[in-house]
Amino acid sequence: MIYKWKRLGENSLFLAPSIILTLALGIYPLIWMLRYMFYDYAGYGEALFVGLDNFSRLLRDSLFWESVGNTFIYAGGKLLLTLPLSLLLAVILNGRLRGSNLLRGIYFMPTVISTAVISVVFYNIFNSYNGMVNTVLMKLHLVSQPVDWLGPKHAMLTVIIVAVWGAVGNYMLLFLAGLQSIPQDLYESASIDGANAGRRFWNITLPMLAPVAQMVIMLAIIASLKGYESIMVITEGGPIGKTEVMYLYLYKLLFPVSTGSPVTQQLGYGSAVGFATAVIVGAVTGLYFFFSRKMNKVY
Amino acid sequence: MNESVISKQPAGRPQTAGRTPGSAGRIVTRTVMWLFLLATAVLTLFPLLMTLTGSLKTGAEMMTGGTLFPAKLQFNNYAEAWKQANFARYTWNSAFMSVMVTIGTLLVASMAAYVVDRRDFPGKRIYVTVQASMMFISVGAIVLRPQFDLMVALHLNTTLWGVILILVSAHSSTFFMLQGFFKAIPRELDEAAMVDGSGFIRTFFRIILPLLTPGLGVAGLFAFRHAWNEYILPLVFTMTNPKLQTLTVGLANLRYGSSAAMQIHLMMAGACLSILPMLLAYILANKTFIQVTAGSVKG
Repeated sequence: MIYKWKRLGENSLFLAPSIILTLALGIYPLIWMLRYMFYDYAGYGEALFVGLDNFSRLLRDSLFWESVGNTFIYAGGKLLLTLPLSLLLAVILNGRLRGSNLLRGIYFMPTVISTAVISVVFYNIFNSYNGMVNTVLMKLHLVSQPVDWLGPKHAMLTVIIVAVWGAVGNYMLLFLAGLQSIPQDLYESASIDGANAGRRFWNITLPMLAPVAQMVIMLAIIASLKGYESIMVITEGGPIGKTEVMYLYLYKLLFPVSTGSPVTQQLGYGSAVGFATAVIVGAVTGLYFFFSRKMNKVY
Repeated sequence: MNESVISKQPAGRPQTAGRTPGSAGRIVTRTVMWLFLLATAVLTLFPLLMTLTGSLKTGAEMMTGGTLFPAKLQFNNYAEAWKQANFARYTWNSAFMSVMVTIGTLLVASMAAYVVDRRDFPGKRIYVTVQASMMFISVGAIVLRPQFDLMVALHLNTTLWGVILILVSAHSSTFFMLQGFFKAIPRELDEAAMVDGSGFIRTFFRIILPLLTPGLGVAGLFAFRHAWNEYILPLVFTMTNPKLQTLTVGLANLRYGSSAAMQIHLMMAGACLSILPMLLAYILANKTFIQVTAGSVKG
């Protein structure tokens, strides 16, 4: 009996730090958010119960819905460029290739660098008057006038390019891991049967990679819907709200001081926006999961 | 085996087109492929190269733009960034925060993972499920506000400890990684130690943890990278405490400096200072980084 209590004590001792931290900083904040989305609360003074008012305001909040639209443009652009590019790189580097290790190292390098720091760098090299991108483009005579990369017309493209730069290496590596689990003899026997590289890709690589790809694409979707750090550093959602995404909009409601935006702090409404944001991300992930479930089967 | 069989085929057997060395089609394909690989590598390295060359230019040269390489190498940019732009302070804050987060995460996660791997206790499944969901429901900005308010209530917002605790609380991925490593250590070892009279805690810290060193190294590398690169949390916590700013925050804030336009060269030197340690760690541990990241998709 004493032995049993001693074991229980030891177990509790070892788990306590983890459980306390998870409860205090993981679960309590979620409950806090779920509570305050029904309140009018500025962060100081009294919190006033308002029921579903925050949600009816949300439905009429055109800034929020614009940010939702921007999020989809941003995420869509990022995925459309990142996924094919990283898959292509993975397929090439999966073959026996001279210098393949060095290239893997180079492509993966951006993922170990701070997003905020490299965004500061990109902010400077995309600068329209003295930025390196324009310098290079003009020296190569690809453009005759400096392009306003951070202006209303191109800002979204610029933040997408930065996002793709930071993500390709990561997904390349995940695809590569999937490719390496495909048995080599499948390719060998297909070659003997006379299948060329294209056929081998369509009939072996893609179907065999499907289950891994399903996971990788899901991770990519979630990450691209949630990314705002780099946008915050490069454009802060501007110019004229062209790159405002859901999470950035939410951040500005919760911490207006740090962004210098004239909006007042609105924790109650912010909680409602946070909830809606989480639901949108969850719904997209769920829909993707539903429509991609066939990929889970290996043929 | 297979290859020797193939090479014994009669000489007259038609070879597949793609395999004929030196055929025109193959040369074109290979050239296109290499051009693509090199172009991607150049684009990946471009911002890093621009950071490096920019950090060695004069402020005036940065302002007017137009040059790719510095006319004369300005190594004192680094000294200036270190002293004038306060990078000494930022580096210390970043290092302190990252080391504490790494130690804390490893300690909390390894203790929990050990108990979960070696013992049964009531609520074990609930604990593991919660940790697993914590990994996927990382809601980011949504829970930032309650986390911040909690730290204010605990008076931990005037030091970096608030940030450290929040980062340590997100230890679920380290937990699962370490649990995998514990499985590889035979149970007989701790049983033998306990029979010899070593207590539970002593066995863990003296016998098992030293055996886990390689696993702790890898998990620590990831925790360190995450903390070193973190931007939003230290940003929120240092809004009123500029002295606590980390490299990522201090660097991004240089954009708003009174003479920010004149200081692009310092921003670039600062970016180099903050990228360099991670890049160095990455180059030294390149293989580990790539293997562990690649392995993570299987889970």
